Amino acid sequence: MTTLTHLQRLEAESIQIMREVVAESENPVMLYSVGKDSAVMLHLARKAFAPSPPPFPLLHVDTRWKFRAMYEFRDRMAEEASMDLLVHINPEGIEKDINPFTHGSAIHTDVMKTEGLKQAMDKYGFDAAFGGARRDEEKSRAKERVFSFRTAQHRWDPKNQRPELWKVFNTFKHKGESIRVFPLSNWTELDIWQYIYLQNIPIVPLYYSAERPVVERDGALIMVDDERMPLEPGEVPMMRKVRFRTLGCYPLTGAVESEADTLPAIIQEMLLTRTSERQGRVIDHDSAASMEKKKQEGYF
Amino acid sequence: MSAKHLSPEMLNQRRLEAVRLRLDGLTVASTAKRTGLSAPTVSAAWKAFREGGWQAVPVRPRGRHKGNTQTLGESEREYLWQRISRWPANNSPGWTSRELAEALSDETGQKVSQRAVEHWLEARNLKPAPMSLETATKRSRKGRWLHQQVQPVLERVRSLGGTHWLGGVRVVTNSNDRQAPCYQLYVHGKHGVLHTCRFATPPKAKDYIELFKRLAEQGPTALIFHGAFFKASAEITTWLEQHTDFQLLGVPPNSKL
Repeated sequence: MTTLTHLQRLEAESIQIMREVVAESENPVMLYSVGKDSAVMLHLARKAFAPSPPPFPLLHVDTRWKFRAMYEFRDRMAEEASMDLLVHINPEGIEKDINPFTHGSAIHTDVMKTEGLKQAMDKYGFDAAFGGARRDEEKSRAKERVFSFRTAQHRWDPKNQRPELWKVFNTFKHKGESIRVFPLSNWTELDIWQYIYLQNIPIVPLYYSAERPVVERDGALIMVDDERMPLEPGEVPMMRKVRFRTLGCYPLTGAVESEADTLPAIIQEMLLTRTSERQGRVIDHDSAASMEKKKQEGYF
Repeated sequence: MSAKHLSPEMLNQRRLEAVRLRLDGLTVASTAKRTGLSAPTVSAAWKAFREGGWQAVPVRPRGRHKGNTQTLGESEREYLWQRISRWPANNSPGWTSRELAEALSDETGQKVSQRAVEHWLEARNLKPAPMSLETATKRSRKGRWLHQQVQPVLERVRSLGGTHWLGGVRVVTNSNDRQAPCYQLYVHGKHGVLHTCRFATPPKAKDYIELFKRLAEQGPTALIFHGAFFKASAEITTWLEQHTDFQLLGVPPNSKL
C-alpha cells in the first residue's frame, strides 16, 4: 500500500468534497476571487472532473477595486479552464459610487462584497458555493465547518454548526438554505504554496516580489495601482521591492517587503514567517471579531 | 608572486581555484605552484572543502568590521544624526562626509576625519553604492534604456556644459540599530561622491523639489533617479515642466542598476 504525502491527502480530501457537493446540490458555483487559494481551488476542480471542465461556473463578486493584474489573470484563467465566468457587481454600489476611500473599508466591504455576493446567489439561484477560505487565515474561519450552512437570508450562525466527524458531511438543506463549502479548510498557507510549486499552478504575478510604487498608510504598504488612489498632499509613492501575501481590493491590501521573486523563495519566506497573511487586510482590523460579524451577515 | 599580500577577495578566489585543481587530481605541491598559494594554505582550503563544502572554502573577513570602532563619541554620533536630518546651509545637494566632518569640527571643536564619518555612514547603512551605468549590454532591457534614453540626454546636457548625477531614495534599516527605519535621499556626483539627507518619514514632493533646485543651481543638470514614482506627483511634474534645463530620468523598475 502506498502512503500519501500530506499534500496528496489534502488534495484527495478537497477533491472528495467537490465531488460530494456536485452530487448533492442542484446548482453549485465556485466563488473565484483570483487569489492563490482560488487558483488552487480551480486547479483541484479541474482535476476532480477531468477530462470534462468542472460542471459549475465561476463567480467573481467584483468590487471594481481589484488590482489590474487580477482582472487580466481572471479572464485568462476562465478561458483556459473552459468555464463560464459570471461577474457580479452590486448595482447599488455602482449607483452610489461606493469606494474604500470616501466610504471606508467597512461600508465598501459590506455593500460591494457581502451584499454583492448575496445578490448574485439569489440572482442565479445557487444552492452551494465553493470558497477558498482556510482555517489558518483568521479566527472565525478557524471555527467554521467545511460545509457551512446559510439561512435563506444568507446568515451564518456560528453556534449552530453541524458536526463533521470522520469527514462525513451532512449535506441536507432546508428549503431556501444554501451551503458555503470550503474544500481548502484544512490547508495552511504553506501547503498552498507548496502545492502551487509542485503542480506548477499559474498565479497572479503580484505574489512575486518586484519593485512597485507604494505609499505607507498606518504602517501598511499600499500599492498605487492606478490614478484613482488619492495621495496625501505632497506625497510621492516610493518604488519598493514588495509582494502580496494576500490579494483583495488594492486600497485595502497591504504589501510586504520581500525579495522572494520565485516560488522556492516564497516557500522559504513562509517557513520563517510568524504572522497571518490576513494581517495585510485592512478589513480584518475594522473592529474586534469583525470577520465573524461580517460572516454572520453573509460575507464569504 | 607571493600570496602574502593578497586582498581577501583574491585570496578566496585562489583558494577556490586550489580546491578545483585538487578535485581534478593535482597534488598539493603542484596546486600550490599553479595558484601561487603556500602548500599549507592549499591543504587548509582542501580540508575546509571536505568538512564544509564550497561555502567553507573562503576565509572569513579579517580584522574588525568597518565602522565598528568607536572613533566617534555618543555626542558626535548624535550630532551627525541630527545634521543629516536637514539640508546643508550651503547649496550642496546633501551632506558629504567631508562637509559633515567639517561641520562637526567647527561646531563642537572635535577634530574628526572624513574617513571616520564615512565609517559611521557605512555602519548606519547610509552609504549606498552608486548606480552602475556601464555594465549593460545593448540588447538587454537595461542596455536599451541606457542607450536610447539616457545617453542622448547626457550628451545634450554635457554639450551645454552641465553635469549629471545619479541618485535615489530608499528605506534604511539597520539590523544593529534599534531605531525605526528611516528614509534616505541621496545623489552621487563627480567621482562618486555621496551627498545625502535623512528623513524620518517618506520624503514629500517639497523634499524632492529642494534636491532638484540645489542640483539645478549648478547649471544644466541630468539626474538619473531610482526609488520614487514621480509620475504620481502633480507638484513634481509641474516643477519639471517649468525647469526644462533639469532632466530627470527615472530608472525603470526592476532594472537592477
